[in-house]
Amino acid sequence: MLRCWCVSAICLFVAACGMPRDPEKTSERIASTHELRVGVTDNGEWADAQSTEPRGIEPDLVRQFAAQIGAHVLWTRGSEISLVHALKENELDVAIGGFDKKTAWKSVAGVSQPFAETTDNKKHVFLAAPGENRFILTLDTFLTDHMRASKAAQA
Amino acid sequence: MRGVPRKPEAEAELRKAKRLAWVSMAYILSTIAMLFMVMAGSQALKTELSGELLSLVPPTLFLIGDRISRREPDTRYPFGYERAVSAGYVGAAVALLMVGVYLLGEGAMKLVTKEHPTIGGFPLFGHVIWTGWLGIAVLLWSGIPAHFLGRAKRAAAETLYDKTLAADADINAADWQSAGAAIIGMIGIGFGLWWADSAAAVLISLEIIRSGWTELSTALGDIMDRRPLTLDSKENDPVTDHVTEFLRRQPWVDDVVVRVRERGREFTAEAHVVPKNDEVSVEQVSRTGELACKVDPRLADVTIAPVKELPEDVARSRQPVDA
Repeated sequence: MLRCWCVSAICLFVAACGMPRDPEKTSERIASTHELRVGVTDNGEWADAQSTEPRGIEPDLVRQFAAQIGAHVLWTRGSEISLVHALKENELDVAIGGFDKKTAWKSVAGVSQPFAETTDNKKHVFLAAPGENRFILTLDTFLTDHMRASKAAQA
Repeated sequence: MRGVPRKPEAEAELRKAKRLAWVSMAYILSTIAMLFMVMAGSQALKTELSGELLSLVPPTLFLIGDRISRREPDTRYPFGYERAVSAGYVGAAVALLMVGVYLLGEGAMKLVTKEHPTIGGFPLFGHVIWTGWLGIAVLLWSGIPAHFLGRAKRAAAETLYDKTLAADADINAADWQSAGAAIIGMIGIGFGLWWADSAAAVLISLEIIRSGWTELSTALGDIMDRRPLTLDSKENDPVTDHVTEFLRRQPWVDDVVVRVRERGREFTAEAHVVPKNDEVSVEQVSRTGELACKVDPRLADVTIAPVKELPEDVARSRQPVDA
């Protein structure tokens, strides 16, 4: 009995190291194709989608993140609704454009941890393909580190 | 003491039961707060959270009900206030059922629309860890102590013959099942199985519906004066037979029909007695009533009505239920 428990505990522990996994294998795909598919919608200083290469706070962050996971960014431009739809259909990995934690899309798309908090108490986030939890965890780790670093820089 | 079975340990047990109710409420509130923090996009955790919120009701009803049911009878409520708890339970059970059905629908809908639950990272002490691990830890907290709390309540419920407390104890003791289902759901998500979460949510909502149904039928039975059942609700309580046998043994009794009803933790019995002859003294009748009351510690009152022949409806109460 005890041995049985030990064996299953070890199995669980070994399996747990790879957890969580992505149901649609986003992380594995990025690791093999080195492509991060990002949707961007225009929103002031957060994201400027007009120029050939998107500019602003969020596109810069996306490029940093892509560099960290060894990928280059494939940009898609669109309205919020078309981007969110693409996230749900797993045609995009991330969507940016000044979304905050209380976005109306949070029931449809995955919402990351905040990377910035503005004076109006809005916590700014990225949207991600829903349920791709390993990928979102990687993104959350990156964004949380960024948030900590910028807070430390302010102080 | 009013409203408590005549047993030496009953009063101490009642104090213990009240303490357990307060401990339960604090414990459930702690679980709710933690679940709220870690539930992220998980339907299983949301369902578990709703279940926890509903499980605040029984201990609350127990504490409030104990105060109300102890009130003395008055002109407005000539039989006393013991039934207040049963009335409260009808409402609580209906709420439990409706929330259960709602959550079942929601969980099933998420399965049908293939919604992938998002559970990302949680910043904790300078690290970011997967929220699912925290979810599992909270679920362990919601399941394991509840089991022991349930066992302690069960013991108190048996001494006090308190059905609401017994139902509460059963819910607590069964909590590990829904927590276990939610844990399996979380591990499923961890393995990349998006449907595991909604499937667990459906299981938990079925458990909520089941306990709502059980409580509703118990509470309705109480209000409808069903014959008392044993605390585990499996069979008829022998108290009716015991009183009947006792009265039959009296030398002056020819025939008797005893009807017992539950009033909260206590029983009241009504006995229609056909005496062997017309010479029955008031002394005899009231003495027999007092003695009959001692047959079972839960009996608060035995009313003896001497009759020439049994009224039709009273006699019918001996008919077995048509299967």
